[in-house]
Amino acid sequence: MLLIIGNKNYSSWSLRPWIATKVYGMPFDEKRIHLYAPSSKAEILRYSPAGKVPVLHDEGTVVWDSLAILEYLAEREPRLWPRAAAERARARAISAEMHAGFAKLREHMSMNIRKRYPGKGRTPEVLAEIGRISAIWGEAKGPFLFGEFSAADAMYAPVVLRFRTYAVEGPNRRYMDTMLALPAMREWIEAAEREPESIPELDLYE
Amino acid sequence: MQLIIGNKNYSSWSMRPWVLLREAGIAFEEVQLKFDDTGHAKGAERYSPTGKLPVLVIDGEPVWDSLAICESVAERYPEKQLWPADARARRVARSICAEMHSGFQALRGEMPMNIRSRHPGKGRSPESQRDIERVVQIWTTCLDRHGALGPLLFGRFSIADAYYAPVVTRFQTYAVSLPPAAQAYCDAVLALRAVREWMDAARRETEFVAGDEPYASDHR
Repeated sequence: MLLIIGNKNYSSWSLRPWIATKVYGMPFDEKRIHLYAPSSKAEILRYSPAGKVPVLHDEGTVVWDSLAILEYLAEREPRLWPRAAAERARARAISAEMHAGFAKLREHMSMNIRKRYPGKGRTPEVLAEIGRISAIWGEAKGPFLFGEFSAADAMYAPVVLRFRTYAVEGPNRRYMDTMLALPAMREWIEAAEREPESIPELDLYE
Repeated sequence: MQLIIGNKNYSSWSMRPWVLLREAGIAFEEVQLKFDDTGHAKGAERYSPTGKLPVLVIDGEPVWDSLAICESVAERYPEKQLWPADARARRVARSICAEMHSGFQALRGEMPMNIRSRHPGKGRSPESQRDIERVVQIWTTCLDRHGALGPLLFGRFSIADAYYAPVVTRFQTYAVSLPPAAQAYCDAVLALRAVREWMDAARRETEFVAGDEPYASDHR
């Protein structure tokens, strides 16, 4: 299984399937592509028909898009969705909501693990989206959203890191601490901090 | 099961699970809420914490978002094989649905679904043109691979066809000329019983939602 990802400091979509495979110890190789470089597009297209990362190569086929990759992983590792059907439906609903929504949060509080931008990016629309995330996290069963770690936590992992960068207080602190203490999360953060490349276009508040 | 939907003429996200359930012959109660001018459906908050449609209520519990609804329905009715049974085909089907779910912003924004109207040539920007080309590439790749099994993306009907059905209606509304294989696929989707039923109902709707009518002044 080969997972192709972008810069760990910036690529929130890459973190989602990566952390899901790590938490449940599914063996995989990773290939990192530096985004926004002149060669990036051609390199991504070698692996990804949609021209985007993350993309997963396994058993001679290609699975692209973070949510489709998570569903694929969940077929192999059923613990990635909650066991009870009603909870599983809810986990899928909030995962899909993250997948297609929260556009303003993504735009104004883009993931940037190394930086600290306290108070930046808080437009009224962003605050409304933060409110919605607070409501979702407020219903967390603990320690994770549905008890054990699930694909829903993978989908919200980059949000935890955004709230760290932008010093957003309020949403379920205990849940954030649980996520930040995950060995897989720590591994990703450390790798992001060691990454040599910067992408000035994504360092929003310099 | 209750499926809460918006206007059939405009709500592409509502069309997807509705077509899926109907084409698969799964019984459900339809509840329709109409959009105001900004595209907000009054009363949707009663059904879903997001205030957005569609919502499927299963055993009193809301499942929101079209993709989560499709996954949940597929899981609840495994005998219907709503995802392709073949594991490799299923991976591709999920990938192209997820790509639709979070992508194609230009196509969605510049060529909003509007089943009863005709706006030939409108909404073509370099970005929407790129989206159209990507849709055609997805379709032709699937049709090449599975064409022997039937006229749909994975041969027989699947979630992927429900997911791309609103795009088929857009190509009709905006008169997008397509390569023959892609056009044949559109014709196959337009011939689906559930799609015909939805579109007939859409044509009978009279509500005008300004936010979804960027080209209406040309005709009114």
